[in-house]
Amino acid sequence: MWVGYPVSFAHRFYVFVLGPLTVLLLMYLAFSFYPLLRPAGQEVPLSTIIAASLFTCARLFIAYVLAVVVAIPLALLTTYNSTMETLLLPVFDIMESVPILALFPVIIMLFIQFNFLNGAAIFILFLAMLWNIVFTLVGGLKIIPKDIFYVTQVFGLHGWGYMQRFLLPALVPQLVTGSILAVAQGWNLIIVAEVLHTYIPGGTSAQDLFGVGSILVAAAANAQNGVFLGAVFVMVVIIAMLNLFVWQKLLHYAQRFRFD
Amino acid sequence: MSENNVIEFAHVAKRYPGEKTAAIHNVSFAVEEGEFVCFVGPSGCGKTTTLKIIAGLEQATSGTVKKPKNVSMAFQLGALFPWLTAFENVAFGLRQKEGMHESSITRAVDQQLEMLGMLNFRDRYPSELSGGQRQRVGIARALAVDPAVLLLDEPFSALDPKTTAELHDDIIKIWHRTHKTIVMVSHLIEEAVSLADRVILMREGTVDSIYHIQLPYPRRENEGFHHDVMRIRKEFFK
Repeated sequence: MWVGYPVSFAHRFYVFVLGPLTVLLLMYLAFSFYPLLRPAGQEVPLSTIIAASLFTCARLFIAYVLAVVVAIPLALLTTYNSTMETLLLPVFDIMESVPILALFPVIIMLFIQFNFLNGAAIFILFLAMLWNIVFTLVGGLKIIPKDIFYVTQVFGLHGWGYMQRFLLPALVPQLVTGSILAVAQGWNLIIVAEVLHTYIPGGTSAQDLFGVGSILVAAAANAQNGVFLGAVFVMVVIIAMLNLFVWQKLLHYAQRFRFD
Repeated sequence: MSENNVIEFAHVAKRYPGEKTAAIHNVSFAVEEGEFVCFVGPSGCGKTTTLKIIAGLEQATSGTVKKPKNVSMAFQLGALFPWLTAFENVAFGLRQKEGMHESSITRAVDQQLEMLGMLNFRDRYPSELSGGQRQRVGIARALAVDPAVLLLDEPFSALDPKTTAELHDDIIKIWHRTHKTIVMVSHLIEEAVSLADRVILMREGTVDSIYHIQLPYPRRENEGFHHDVMRIRKEFFK
């Protein structure tokens, strides 16, 4: 059952008015005191920035779905028994600690073989998101009361029924929390993930992916302040809308699935 | 071995992996059909392990266990699924049964909810119920699958005295009405004497002594109640 999220006027006002205005003001001040950034070069229309943002969102979305699909079985496998936990958790800890950007040149080289540069960006975003979701789910599985597991055993729940009727609903709160952290991590990485040419030997900006990240980098490099401000503004609006219309609602909905 | 016994333990032991001492050892007892038996004893004496073996949640390391397949259990604090309504929680076990039509499930669930005075709360979520109401839903869920044996794992330990007394009355009414075999675990001697036919005192992982209680209900108002409590207490604190 969908539950309406009671968003206050102050919340909406902050998200839609004060938040973007604050960002714009800070950007304006930064440009005013930073003499190297002077208006120059060809401007990019707002419609292009919006279209680029949609491409970026699509990459983030695909990476997120892949991360969820992989994270759930990994978390279940890790908590299957104490042996698996002892074996897998240290491995995941190490894999999470390896800086993702260190892997990026290798990943690009791999995907460039198939002329699939979008795949490189999506894969790097997927890796960035994966561990947030895995560790949050592992934590979530550990706080399910033991008696609840016993209930499923007493009533003979197993296989897909066990997943569908018990495990997946029980993991909803942690999945939502992990998703928020994962997508935030994705946004952090998007600029690097779309500007591929810096990681390709002899690469040119033609190899960059069309997205808000690459627009931001190009605008900064060419001192296109208006474009830069516009791209940041569109990004802030998208993130604010995602927060208000998706994450906040999901956080509220997930309360129902929380064990006391 | 008697044919009337639905549960029989003969020299049963259980040792958990990695533990030096056995949780229970040389446990022998029998429960007749329709009997109400309560295990009491200090913490760590093995009463919950015994109950888990009856429920099939744990396997005995040695000894012989005879128990029916259709065993159901109500847990401390209800152990309800927070995302399901009271109705759906009670229907949980029934939905596992193959070939049950939705109309049969609805009828069975409503019947149990009515018996436990919870029909008016059927669409509420656990977070909208009091501790006593959650426990009632937990018991209704256990009864809904029509078990041969109903197991109760300290079901009243987290409730206030008034709610506990009300639930005691309900359990006795349900027992008289359904003639179910009930095996309960409690850490309160008074609770065991006020409810059960037989009280099994466990100590240090084995059965210490067994007491037959032959008082009429309601027992707390009976003169013999305190005598029976004191006689078990004497052993309990020995």
